[in-house]
Amino acid sequence: MKRQKRECPESSNPFDVLSEEIIFMVLDLLEQNPLDKKAFSLVCKSFYATESKHRKTLKPLRQQHLPAVLSRYPNITHLDLTMCSRVSDASLSSISNACRFNLRSIDFSQSRLLSCSGLLGLAQNCKNLVEIDLSNGTELKDSAMAAIAEARNLEKLWLARCKSITDMGIGCVAVGCRKLKLLSLKWCLGVGDLGVGLVAVKCKEIRSLDLSYLPITNKCLPSILKLQYLEDLVLEGCFGIDDDSLGVFKHGCKSLKSLDMSSCQNISQSGLSSLISGTEGLQQLTLAYGSPVTTSLANGLKKLSMLQSIKLDGCMITCDGLKTIADWCISLRELSLSKCSGVTDEGLSSVVMKQRGLTKLDITCCRKITDASIACIANLCNSLTSFRMESCTLISREAFVLIGQRCHLLEELDLTDNEIDDEGLKSISRCSKLATLKLGICLNITDEGLMHIGKGCPKLKELDLYRSSGITDLGILEIARGCSDLEMINIAYCKEITDASFLSLSKCSQLRTFESRGCPLITSFGLTAIAVGCKQLTKLDIKKCHNIDDAGMLQLAHFSQNLRQINLSYTSVTDVGLLSLASISCIQNITILHLKGLTPSGLAAALLSCGGLTKMKLQSTFKWLLPQPLLEHLEARGCAFQWRDKVLQVSFSFYS
Amino acid sequence: MDLNNRLSGNELQKNLSGQPGFGNFNTQHPQKWEDPSIIDYSMRIEPPFRGFNQVKVGQDGLVNELRPTNKIQEWDPSAMLSSFSFLEQKIHQLRDLVHLIVGRRGQVLGRPDELVTQQQQLITADLTSIIVQLISTAGSLLPYVKSTHSAAPPSMGQFGQLGGAVFPSIPGLNGGIQLQNTSGSKVSNQPNQNDVSANCGSEQNHNNEEHDLKEEEDAEEGENLPPGSYEILQPEKEEILAPHTHFCTICGKGFKRDANLRMHMRGHGDEYKTPAALAKPHKESSSEPTLIKRYSCPCTGCKRNKDHKKFQPLKTILCVKNHYKRTHCDKSYTCSRCNTKRFSVVADLKTHEKHCGKDKWLCSCGTTFSRKDKLFGHIALFQGHTPAIASEETKAQVGPFERREGNQVTNKVGSMNFNFSPNASSESGVQNIMNVKGNIDDPTTYFSPLNFDNLGGFNDFPRPPFDDSESSFGFLLPGSCNYNQKSAADDSNNLA
Repeated sequence: MKRQKRECPESSNPFDVLSEEIIFMVLDLLEQNPLDKKAFSLVCKSFYATESKHRKTLKPLRQQHLPAVLSRYPNITHLDLTMCSRVSDASLSSISNACRFNLRSIDFSQSRLLSCSGLLGLAQNCKNLVEIDLSNGTELKDSAMAAIAEARNLEKLWLARCKSITDMGIGCVAVGCRKLKLLSLKWCLGVGDLGVGLVAVKCKEIRSLDLSYLPITNKCLPSILKLQYLEDLVLEGCFGIDDDSLGVFKHGCKSLKSLDMSSCQNISQSGLSSLISGTEGLQQLTLAYGSPVTTSLANGLKKLSMLQSIKLDGCMITCDGLKTIADWCISLRELSLSKCSGVTDEGLSSVVMKQRGLTKLDITCCRKITDASIACIANLCNSLTSFRMESCTLISREAFVLIGQRCHLLEELDLTDNEIDDEGLKSISRCSKLATLKLGICLNITDEGLMHIGKGCPKLKELDLYRSSGITDLGILEIARGCSDLEMINIAYCKEITDASFLSLSKCSQLRTFESRGCPLITSFGLTAIAVGCKQLTKLDIKKCHNIDDAGMLQLAHFSQNLRQINLSYTSVTDVGLLSLASISCIQNITILHLKGLTPSGLAAALLSCGGLTKMKLQSTFKWLLPQPLLEHLEARGCAFQWRDKVLQVSFSFYS
Repeated sequence: MDLNNRLSGNELQKNLSGQPGFGNFNTQHPQKWEDPSIIDYSMRIEPPFRGFNQVKVGQDGLVNELRPTNKIQEWDPSAMLSSFSFLEQKIHQLRDLVHLIVGRRGQVLGRPDELVTQQQQLITADLTSIIVQLISTAGSLLPYVKSTHSAAPPSMGQFGQLGGAVFPSIPGLNGGIQLQNTSGSKVSNQPNQNDVSANCGSEQNHNNEEHDLKEEEDAEEGENLPPGSYEILQPEKEEILAPHTHFCTICGKGFKRDANLRMHMRGHGDEYKTPAALAKPHKESSSEPTLIKRYSCPCTGCKRNKDHKKFQPLKTILCVKNHYKRTHCDKSYTCSRCNTKRFSVVADLKTHEKHCGKDKWLCSCGTTFSRKDKLFGHIALFQGHTPAIASEETKAQVGPFERREGNQVTNKVGSMNFNFSPNASSESGVQNIMNVKGNIDDPTTYFSPLNFDNLGGFNDFPRPPFDDSESSFGFLLPGSCNYNQKSAADDSNNLA
């Protein structure tokens, strides 16, 4: 596609014939890789102008450039400011003045320091604003909510972890934003029954309501259940809600499609059954970390004929309970029994017998199940796309062969900490759609198994080989050859890995996350190869790669301009390397513990030149060695420091 | 003797009223702190000196130090009532302080011992200061109640006794009180004191009863007596508005309730002290079935008037009184805290004052609520109303105040003496407000000539150790600073 465009200007510009709409449609197809559009805009002036008009979403890295960027892109409707740790009033006013009626959605979810007056200007100028994400605004007060309430057309509002907001602020929002369809109040600990009740009374349009961990009680439930359009209700961790007086609600919310009652410890089967009575349309039910799942609780699900997904993570489950669930549910698609105690072969088999249409199954840490269950699943649930079975220790090697033989539709497979061996991998390589494969702590697999995966699973995007110590360069070479779409790879503590693996992985140009913690044989040479080959690299973890030094950092700084997060602990990098790293404009998150060659002044210089830094993990000794004004300055810029007191670990061999 | 006694009394009152903010400043409500203290101040000063004020007008500006003694004994219900409300307010403060002490006991762990003891001393000082104010106000009520009985007001003497007993450990005040103790105790007589306390108690009871009756009146709405089944009484306006309905046949003094009259009669001789004389008179008449009495409001056209089509009778004479005052009289009692709410029945004012200033839940329409759920109910009901968020400036004040607290603690003794010092001027913004207040009814002028000699002596008091930080204390103790400055200035004026 890119090549095609480049040819265009040579032949008397055929793009003149095409209308702008058609070019826009072409540009719409370039969404996958942001660099493609950038390349397109650099071709010529007319392309540049077209691309400027076409762009609808923007995710700026620094707020300083906002005025210029906003004047270049006049049609921005969605503005993602998650990369700007501190959005100043000036930036907010330039946004609100530049975007005006175009802006429909804005995301501040990582900007911790917002002011009320800036928000007020935004709400007043951008009348068409429909979505605002203010999550993690722990400093936001009720006055900020009063400002948000001015955005009358708001439909979606996320306020997760805005801990300083009280009922008064939510009351303002409820009265001001009457068109609200989605509201997330997760962890807003200052909001209680009154605020939530008022939202339910005033905002009749609400479809989705997240009330997780709020100190609410049964008092606000009647008005919530009266909401006509409510489809998605999350009541996770609402300890104030209990069985008492729940029986009053004879008619639950009819429109409800998804209900999450995780960690509601004071709700037992009686309360639950009165809550879900009348909600015939319920499709998704989450009861994780709740009361034991017994026959009586499962009987409550009797009338929920539409139920497609049940999540019971962390619950105590009886065999009969599972059987009853299997009996009542007509067409279950998704079942999550992660960390459930009491899941046995008998129970699981009975579910699988009845629910053959399962597409997602999670039996993580169900340590009682054996090969019998796996055989049953493999034989009956051929439509499985996601199967997670981390730490099912009783399952033998042979069982994994069955999975590969039967479940060809698998896209996600988590086999972390299992007995799978090369035979199993060979069988699994038949799942050609596999995109995510987790093989962490699988000590029986070797290069041979990986070779099969590399050949059979070309769509693989994520591969986790954490502490799978049988892997060497050969296996990685096969993966790199076969899976060119790889975006994430974890080869932490695979001690045999050398620079050769890095060289072969540098062919995977889509690689974004690279974890190679504790690979002592890696040198700066290997890292350079990755830096040159994988331009998309955003996260890099090279902790305890002792042989990586400043040379690697210099190359990384030069080539990996998209790097955002890096862990350099225990490497041989010094001031020079860190300073060069600081020139990467995207870099936000750095962890440096126990760098022998690091001096306070070098660190100070690096910190100063990292303009976009949001999180910095350092040894606590530097807290006293760095000048206090510098730390204050960086904190004012939006950088959060984490001080660690860990002692230098001399021995690195836990698992070997 | 008489003059001397009064003089020391005035002086003490001045001392006491000079520290209004002191009882408050430790209660950890910094945003509330400023206003109430000012109001306290004006309230505290006003009632005891109203008597003097009247004299001054009567005498064309001539200050006569003997006249007030006679005048002060005249019945002045409004002054007395404000004294009552002041008493009530102080008792609330007292309770808050005790709560504070209880709260502190849990907190003291892990804090420097010195600071803790200092703070405890401070609280103790607050307590004594409030108690002294209570006693002084209660004492100031004495002359009114005493009426024509004795010419010499014994209140200060008793007060001195009490005061001396309550806080013997406060250095600044102790001297003055000892002095009064010696001078006053000669005049004080025990029976009088009893009388006063009894009267005060019954007065309090009366107020409570009035409250109950008010509620009764409201509850009675639904009562459906067939017309004619009861006897309708219609008191005249004058009868309703008369302050007293029961009069002493010997001295002519009026009382609101006959129980009070009977109490009063005991003073006229032993024959009134017999159980028969003290018993409630009409109790025995229950044997014969009497017609139920119901009352009618004298105002024609009123629903409570017997001529009204949908006449709803009133149950008791007190209901009539309250109804008539509420519906047909001016609302002459203004809340001294908010200065906006007006009432015609004292009990209503008192009820309001209990909650006045606590209405912190504010709606955008301007309505305030004392309870959050009431506000939210209001907002849920009305379209377009929204919770009003208080500006964040009030929160900002918390910081500096708390930081100053430690400073306060170290200067505790100084602040006890602080109001004696005529040099204590302040540049704080509060001063202006205070001056305005002071000018309205400047209490200091009435006794200044008498006090001036003493003031000279006050200069000999040890200077407060925080002279160089006057402005900050001027802010924290606006009442005390200003009051003294004012009195000193007026003294010099009067001399000239």
